[in-house]
Amino acid sequence: MSENAQKTKTVERYNWVERWTHTFHAIAMLVLIFTGLHIYFGWDIMTFHNARVLHMVMVPVLILTNWCLVPYGILSHGWQEGGVKGVVKHFYYGYIFNKDDFRRLKGMVLNFFGKQEKYPEFTVYNKATGHYKTKLHPMFKIFIVVEGLCIFLIFITGIVLYKVDWSIIGIPIAHWLTIIFGWISPILNMNGLEFARWLHLALTYFFIFELICHAFILEFDTKVFKYWRSIFIDGKEYLDSPVVQVIDEEEHH
Amino acid sequence: MASEKLNMIEQFKNLDILKVDRRTFLKAVAALGATSFVSLYGNQLTEALAAFPETKVLWLHGAECTGCSESALNGSSPEFADALSELNISLVYHETLLAQQGIFVDGKLVGNSELNGEILLKELVAAGGYILVVEGSIGNGPDGTGKINMIGTHPFKKIYEDAAKNANAIIALGTCATYGGITVTDSDVKKYCDFMGVNQTENKKGGMNAVLGINKPVINLPGCPAHPDWFFLTVAAVLLGKIDLNNLEGVLDGDGRPKVFYPPQNTLHDNCPRRGFYDRGVLDERFAEGGCLWKVGCKAPYVHADCALRKWNNGTSLCMQAGGPCIACVEPIFPNGSMPFYVERESAGVLFGVNIGTVAALAIGAAVVAAGVHAVRRVNKEK
Repeated sequence: MSENAQKTKTVERYNWVERWTHTFHAIAMLVLIFTGLHIYFGWDIMTFHNARVLHMVMVPVLILTNWCLVPYGILSHGWQEGGVKGVVKHFYYGYIFNKDDFRRLKGMVLNFFGKQEKYPEFTVYNKATGHYKTKLHPMFKIFIVVEGLCIFLIFITGIVLYKVDWSIIGIPIAHWLTIIFGWISPILNMNGLEFARWLHLALTYFFIFELICHAFILEFDTKVFKYWRSIFIDGKEYLDSPVVQVIDEEEHH
Repeated sequence: MASEKLNMIEQFKNLDILKVDRRTFLKAVAALGATSFVSLYGNQLTEALAAFPETKVLWLHGAECTGCSESALNGSSPEFADALSELNISLVYHETLLAQQGIFVDGKLVGNSELNGEILLKELVAAGGYILVVEGSIGNGPDGTGKINMIGTHPFKKIYEDAAKNANAIIALGTCATYGGITVTDSDVKKYCDFMGVNQTENKKGGMNAVLGINKPVINLPGCPAHPDWFFLTVAAVLLGKIDLNNLEGVLDGDGRPKVFYPPQNTLHDNCPRRGFYDRGVLDERFAEGGCLWKVGCKAPYVHADCALRKWNNGTSLCMQAGGPCIACVEPIFPNGSMPFYVERESAGVLFGVNIGTVAALAIGAAVVAAGVHAVRRVNKEK
């Protein structure tokens, strides 16, 4: 097979678990933002009760996808190539922003401003192993960490907003969280509960900001536009894409 | 509401309030309020307390407006004097109420304790064995002298120190005494005045007791003013041993307030008479529109107090019912953290005076513009 023929080969970029995870994650996030703002601003679109019920239904959906399915998707790769070491290596190259990602991101910025002709290839597919070495846009690798932290924070502030004395098997989780918030809140001249509400709102705004950056800056690029279809529908990767680098390296263990 | 009260009275009426455990006692105290509590158990209390020696209460005034005294005096069921009588309390010293005056001639106190309040205070402090009620904050400035707040010829800091050292327990009454209140409002002179609460100043634990090295049991009853029920029922619980002064941890919250009156498990917003409007999304943008007052600055969602259940002026009304937003007067952050009073807290400036809504609008707006510019540029480059 010629090199060109090899490059036009189609492979699977996102498997069905990853596609459904992303879809559920996106739906949950959008509904949570909408219903949260609905409650906050007192909009008339639906009743407070319905907005709150929808909000509460979407919390476990988001948490299940973000804290269970996403880690499953990340950690289920690399095992065949090298066991635990392979998983760690896959995680490092696939999800941690490293110096290669910095170089790629710099190249993208330079390309945007016309200072560099070539758009950097941020997806690296190894045809020898049939797996990706890395595939995410470098900016996503930063967003993943920030988003993960923000989801954790909005979840714990949400617990306190849901019920200030929420506990599980007698452990007063909400009370402890309020105490912890109370350690930080004096910086902003607030009490713990006030800080939790303020932070919950601030993080909601952050998710809107991140959504715009994620979906309408990074993915509204002619070179990566096809990944919309890939992540939501067919999961395909076209190896002739200008953002894909195909390598042929045997793994050494 | 009236039928709920009757049901509660029915539920508690056959209770031997002196024999019940602490939890049930405090539950009755919280649920009934002073009016019903005293009318139900007045005889039991009188009989029980008659067996004990009279309890002396020494009431000091620091930097304050006397609003908490007025609030206590406005308690109508029972009235102030009746409550003292029911609880077998002797109010031995209260500057606003006592007949004596502080008389000095050539810098020396004259007369005796029957005529001169200064002499009376000295004698009472020397005798000890009283509950000290502190109303108002305690000035530490300038430079730790306490001279910002002089009473007669002494700094109030010194008067408090002497009285606190010989007290059996201290009740800090009102937000000034508990956390500093309006006397610690941010200003250019705040650091020179250095007003402090008894055991806590704003969110910082310690207060004047830490400065003076005083280690006495302290119960905080914040409020601007404090509710008369909170005071009398706390005193009743202490006198009957239902609040163990040597073991306050389970009774008080993290800010030293009795949990029965300042419940950590819910907020004032939960029981607000306007709560239904919030649930329907009827959020007033201006005053007197009749809906929820959150957007005009109501702080009830962050406040722990039972005002909405207990109500004020003999159970008549409360701030939100009368059309005024809650200003979080029972919280340690009051007033700095609840100002501006008529601005929703989420909209108040926090980062260099800019509120989070403005920051978000700028960031989201910039992201939308950037998305548009990016898309146009990429499409053009592709061509």
